[in-house]
Amino acid sequence: MSETKLDVTGLNCPLPILHARKFMQRISAGTVVEIRASDPASVKDFDAFCRKTNSDLLDHREEEGVFTFNIRKGS
Amino acid sequence: MIDLEPATLIGASAFALGAVFGAISQLTGFCTMGALSDVVFMDDWRRLRAWMLALAVALAGTQGLYGAGWIDLGRSVYLGAPQSWGGAVLGGGMFGLGMTLAGGCGAKTLVRLGGGNLKSLVVVLVMGLFAMMALKGLLAPLRLGLERLTAVAAAGSPGPPALRAVLVALIGGGLAWWSLKDRAFRRSKPDLLSGLVIGALIPAGWAASGILGNDPFDPAPLTSFSFAAPIGGALSYLMTWTGATLSFGVAAVAGTIAGAFAAAALRHELRLEGFTGIPDLLRHLAGAALMGSGGVLALGCTIGQGLTGVSTLSPVSLLALPAIVAGGLLGLKRLEEGSFAAALKALVRSSGPSAAAPDGNHRPHQGNGCSG
Repeated sequence: MSETKLDVTGLNCPLPILHARKFMQRISAGTVVEIRASDPASVKDFDAFCRKTNSDLLDHREEEGVFTFNIRKGS
Repeated sequence: MIDLEPATLIGASAFALGAVFGAISQLTGFCTMGALSDVVFMDDWRRLRAWMLALAVALAGTQGLYGAGWIDLGRSVYLGAPQSWGGAVLGGGMFGLGMTLAGGCGAKTLVRLGGGNLKSLVVVLVMGLFAMMALKGLLAPLRLGLERLTAVAAAGSPGPPALRAVLVALIGGGLAWWSLKDRAFRRSKPDLLSGLVIGALIPAGWAASGILGNDPFDPAPLTSFSFAAPIGGALSYLMTWTGATLSFGVAAVAGTIAGAFAAAALRHELRLEGFTGIPDLLRHLAGAALMGSGGVLALGCTIGQGLTGVSTLSPVSLLALPAIVAGGLLGLKRLEEGSFAAALKALVRSSGPSAAAPDGNHRPHQGNGCSG
């Protein structure tokens, strides 16, 4: 997995957010990260995650049950 | 006019109320474990406020029904039978820990199952198995031994009217005020809706079993929502259907799955999910075992004790809920820190004197924050 991609497909709450949080702690501000998840709750969870961490949810899409989020880490 | 047996009326009502529970949970994301994890990992308190609002509504509604003479809470298992403080603490802690491993409590597991999550099917089966083992099987002697050692007499009633009024005002009023004072929560329609509706379902359940089942010759058991033992009961019901009686709990389990399924189908959110590998399977199996046995030991789960039990003002329920929360927090921190020892250290650190902000929100210490 690259520095800017995180795959949490197959994991359910709270693991997607937990892994995202740890992943984001390792990267620098301004980096755009692509996160893939399959938990239907992840849409609401990552929206809240971005607001709480001052990160920008640039876009998200769903394809065949997989949600992809592009998030720019805030400062 | 069709004259229905009380058992049929109760079963139908429980199924319908369960369907509302399942649908609202699916649509709003109402989830006890989710509420705790939002606070721990994101400092987002909205779902916890929804949960507390649900408790406030459940408490006020239940005590209102009791005060009006519609139901006799002294007949419920929370007040009418001897309790075990040891069971509440140990079982509550086990349940709380288990729900973090299984991705949600019993109720959430049923909701997930309704959405197509096959992991939750495994959790339901194993949780039900361990619940029945704790109730009547291999684990029952251990449970009975602990109950004998830590028994407290049945309270008999929620207390005199003046005391009840004070407690409802303090606990219910306090929780409602704490929830509604936050603007972000008030603006979050799904969280507001879930708090109000889930909370109202608890007295609705009491009313269904207590009013519809009020046969003077053969009164139905007085109960409301609970999921730990009823999940076991549901498995037993499926296996012994030809000679079994449908209870409120079993009907509510079925309704919850059905309601969640309908809501997920409506929003095109149905999808089959399976385990990602052996570690994922083992985690869910452990969680299910802890929830099944712990839930029975504690005489209820997050909903059974946390909402329904506390709504009766049962002293042991007021002990079980914090134990469930403590187990949940420990479990969440263990997921984050990797070990129980590190989890305990992190919990002690984060509850230090500098952690609370003036608005009541808990801010993590620097270096342990949730921001990336």
